Amino acid sequence: MIEADAVGFGYDDDRVLRNVSLRATPGETFALIGPSGTGKTTLLRLLALFEPPDAGTVRAAGTDAWSLSNGRRVATRRRIGMVFQNRSLFSTSVAHNAGYGLAVRRSWPDRARRWLRGLVGRPPLEESVADALETVGLREAAHRPARSLSAGEAQRVAFARALATEPDVLLLDEPTSNLDPRNTALIEEAVAAARERDIAVVVATHDMQQARRIADRVGVMLDGTLIEQGPTETVFGDPDDERARKFIDGELVY
Amino acid sequence: MFGGIIAEFGTRYLISIVVVTLQVSLAAVSISTLVSVVLAGVLGFGDFRGKGVLVSVINTGMGFPSVVVGLVVLLLLSNAGPVGGGFDLGLPGVGVLYSFGGVELLYTPTAMVVSQVVLATPVITSVTLSAIESVDPSIRDAAFAAGGTARDVQIAVVREARYGLVTAVLAGFGRAVSEVGSVLIVGGNIAIATGGGARVSFTRTLTTAITLEARQGNYGTGIALGVVLLTIALAVNGLGNVVRDRGRA
Ligand SMILES: Nc1ncnc2c1ncn2[C@@H]1O[C@H](COP(=O)(O)OP(=O)(O)OP(=O)(O)O)[C@@H](O)[C@H]1O
Ligand SMILES: [Mg+2]
Repeated sequence: MIEADAVGFGYDDDRVLRNVSLRATPGETFALIGPSGTGKTTLLRLLALFEPPDAGTVRAAGTDAWSLSNGRRVATRRRIGMVFQNRSLFSTSVAHNAGYGLAVRRSWPDRARRWLRGLVGRPPLEESVADALETVGLREAAHRPARSLSAGEAQRVAFARALATEPDVLLLDEPTSNLDPRNTALIEEAVAAARERDIAVVVATHDMQQARRIADRVGVMLDGTLIEQGPTETVFGDPDDERARKFIDGELVY
Repeated sequence: MFGGIIAEFGTRYLISIVVVTLQVSLAAVSISTLVSVVLAGVLGFGDFRGKGVLVSVINTGMGFPSVVVGLVVLLLLSNAGPVGGGFDLGLPGVGVLYSFGGVELLYTPTAMVVSQVVLATPVITSVTLSAIESVDPSIRDAAFAAGGTARDVQIAVVREARYGLVTAVLAGFGRAVSEVGSVLIVGGNIAIATGGGARVSFTRTLTTAITLEARQGNYGTGIALGVVLLTIALAVNGLGNVVRDRGRA
């Protein structure tokens, strides 16, 4: 549903991405691996339509997303969910965080009404928010302040925030980088569940074992280029590119 | 000590001073807050030529001497100024000063509100702006990625800065309530005699009353009024802290 075609991008003058093409397919998990600073986050931001590429096209449902009107592009963005590498929760309740995506999709009068009701008492948890929190095992924490959560719990709430809007595409940037094995397993289960629901998942990760566990396809990124991509077994078992092989074998040390 | 001033002043007179003080400062801070949030939003989210200059002007405005502000407001509201009516052209400083087609503004609480708005707005804007600017960029990213429009992103950032906004309003109130120079100039420190030796404040605030008492050598009364002023300032700050702490919990 979301696709990068020969994309190039740079902050100021530095070329960060060069000629990158990849496609996120429904029901498939694509793992983006590669050393630090090679442009994985930058690529995910382009796929999330944060900014237009300098070269090439980012297509959503077959259409160049940056040829769309502003309103249409917002609608397109709302089919995409993203979880960030670093802590990104609002300093409100867990429920508010998880429900934020739904909240911004409501009409202004509806939002005003709910806001006023919230001043009087606690609004009931919407079903999809409750489900999303349930998926990450934090249903009970709904009314806790987000700032009181541990890093692992916060990451799971961020995941729930993306899930609650029932996106077609889920972009995950190192979703388990500072989590313990239990939290990591919870997130990986949630990714598997998303995949079952026909969501297209793109996950950037440093953890090659994780890529093997959860990905259908893998792309190896080096210096802003996808030097190798293909089915997980092929990339890990018999990569074409020599540097990709070295990276996977742990010889390419940065 | 309080028994003393109440006996000397009359309860009604003392209360009227406190009421005028609070009315003027609260009105000024309310108006300033509305103006400041819009201004800080434009400066915090917008990008336009002259933004840097505007920010420096506002930061300079935080330190404006209040007597100068009072003087400028006096000139603006007087006949000589652009807002003044065109009745008594040519004779500066003469007669009652009119403006807005005959509505008398100078030496009224309204004039004091105007000058306090000028004093409090830079303070509130500046503190609000730095609160908005110190919100982590991850908040903008999170709001955007969750499907927020540019407007939603701004709201999320301002919500994140809400305790900074409380601090800003408190700072603005502190500046307004404790200020003497401009309210003295544009308000005139007027109390009205109500017969039988009783008086009631018209434009006399706690600060201008203290000035008057000190000048007349009534130090005890001055100090007592000072204590009332301090109590108000502390109470308002305490209230602000309660709001902040409840939000942080
Ligand atoms: N906002 C920015 N301004 C300027 N340069 C940036 C910015 N963000 C990233 N970069 C640069 O772009 C390059 C790619 O960064 P990116 O964050 O995409 O890497 P990454 O593959 O996600 O790394 P990591 O694995 O450490 O998260 C880096 O050299 C980085 O310094
Ligand atoms: Mg990254």
